[in-house]
Amino acid sequence: MCGLFKTPAYAYITARVRARKRKLIPKETYPKLLNMQLPEIIRFIEESEYKKDVDELSAKFKSIDLLEHALGRSLGASYRKLMDISRGEVNYLITEYMRRWDVWNIKTVLRGKYYGASEEEILNCVVSAGELHYPELELMAKKESIGDVIASLEHTPYYPVLTKYEGGMLNKIEDELDSLSYTRLLDAVGGSPGEKFFLKFIQTEIDIKNLKMLFRLKKAGVEREYVQNILITGGLELKESDLTRLSGLSFSELVHSLDGYSYWRSISDVVSDQMTTLMDVDTKLDAHLMNYASQISHYYPLSILPVLDYVLSKKIEVDNLRVIARGKELKLADEIIRSHLVM
Amino acid sequence: MVAAEAAGFIALGAGIAVGLTGLGAGIGEQSIGAAAIGAMAEDPKFFGKGLLMTVIPESIVIFGLVVALILLFVF
Repeated sequence: MCGLFKTPAYAYITARVRARKRKLIPKETYPKLLNMQLPEIIRFIEESEYKKDVDELSAKFKSIDLLEHALGRSLGASYRKLMDISRGEVNYLITEYMRRWDVWNIKTVLRGKYYGASEEEILNCVVSAGELHYPELELMAKKESIGDVIASLEHTPYYPVLTKYEGGMLNKIEDELDSLSYTRLLDAVGGSPGEKFFLKFIQTEIDIKNLKMLFRLKKAGVEREYVQNILITGGLELKESDLTRLSGLSFSELVHSLDGYSYWRSISDVVSDQMTTLMDVDTKLDAHLMNYASQISHYYPLSILPVLDYVLSKKIEVDNLRVIARGKELKLADEIIRSHLVM
Repeated sequence: MVAAEAAGFIALGAGIAVGLTGLGAGIGEQSIGAAAIGAMAEDPKFFGKGLLMTVIPESIVIFGLVVALILLFVF
């Protein structure tokens, strides 16, 4: 009976996200964008769904900076809109999923303060897509020290983690914040069929995050203990025992021990002992996640899954446009830019 | 006495036919209506299609009404 009343809430939000997803740039357009010069790309984006953001920021920024800021702002606004137009269970799940942006923003402000960045520089890097609204982020950026920033977050769930900060490098609390956002998300997911897939998606996302970290840390030759502490538990295929085992391997051993996992199919053509860049692996893993989200969104149409699919697709679109614009600005070869696009 | 009882049951049957189909249509329409409003909020061009989709479950009420009318006027 309860599900009967939940259905309209999901019907409304999924209809909206499906309509929004239709407005995203189709992947067939990316090769066309690659053939354009930077001014043409900027004009293309100005005339697209980003028009409003570009117009509003055009007085403040120019060229590629305008593009970067407009894309970031549009991303934040789209995610915030999702939270505004949903209610009940679906709103709760979206809010929990968007906490990653709160974590991102807190980390950005703390890092900014740590390295003495100006208020404007910090605010340029935040994405107001989580529970912390832009005015709150502005107040945080205005604080004098890291201690003041942490004190201003007393009312948030992140405060207990932040109080562990004892000065010096921020990486320890940053890792704990990441873990906290995933722990909260895993706890928030219920038992309906759609949510079971949502849980599976989150677990896959954790696996992919762990794999990316493993590749990076092992390539850099970081010690086992540090690697083990930094990895997030709760993944789908990479269980705690797997993470312990993998964190003790060398880069070459790591590459050869991944063929037992389903992710191997997505990355096998770019992974080798001698690989010099990890960018291709990141791109392939992101594409795997995007395809997975798109696939499961059709399993239970009236669930959180189509929302998740849109959220991920929008993020990837923004990232792709950034890659193209920045790549063109740096005059990189089209093939290099193309290899960094998630499609 | 028997005729009065039969008339009562016929009326009850007619009421159930319309009532249950109305409930069924309402349950069906709640999700379709919500989805139609959602689609229209993103693109007003969906108005016509949304309206059409929303009233489709109403057809089941017409069937219920036909059954009720047959019960009331044919029997």
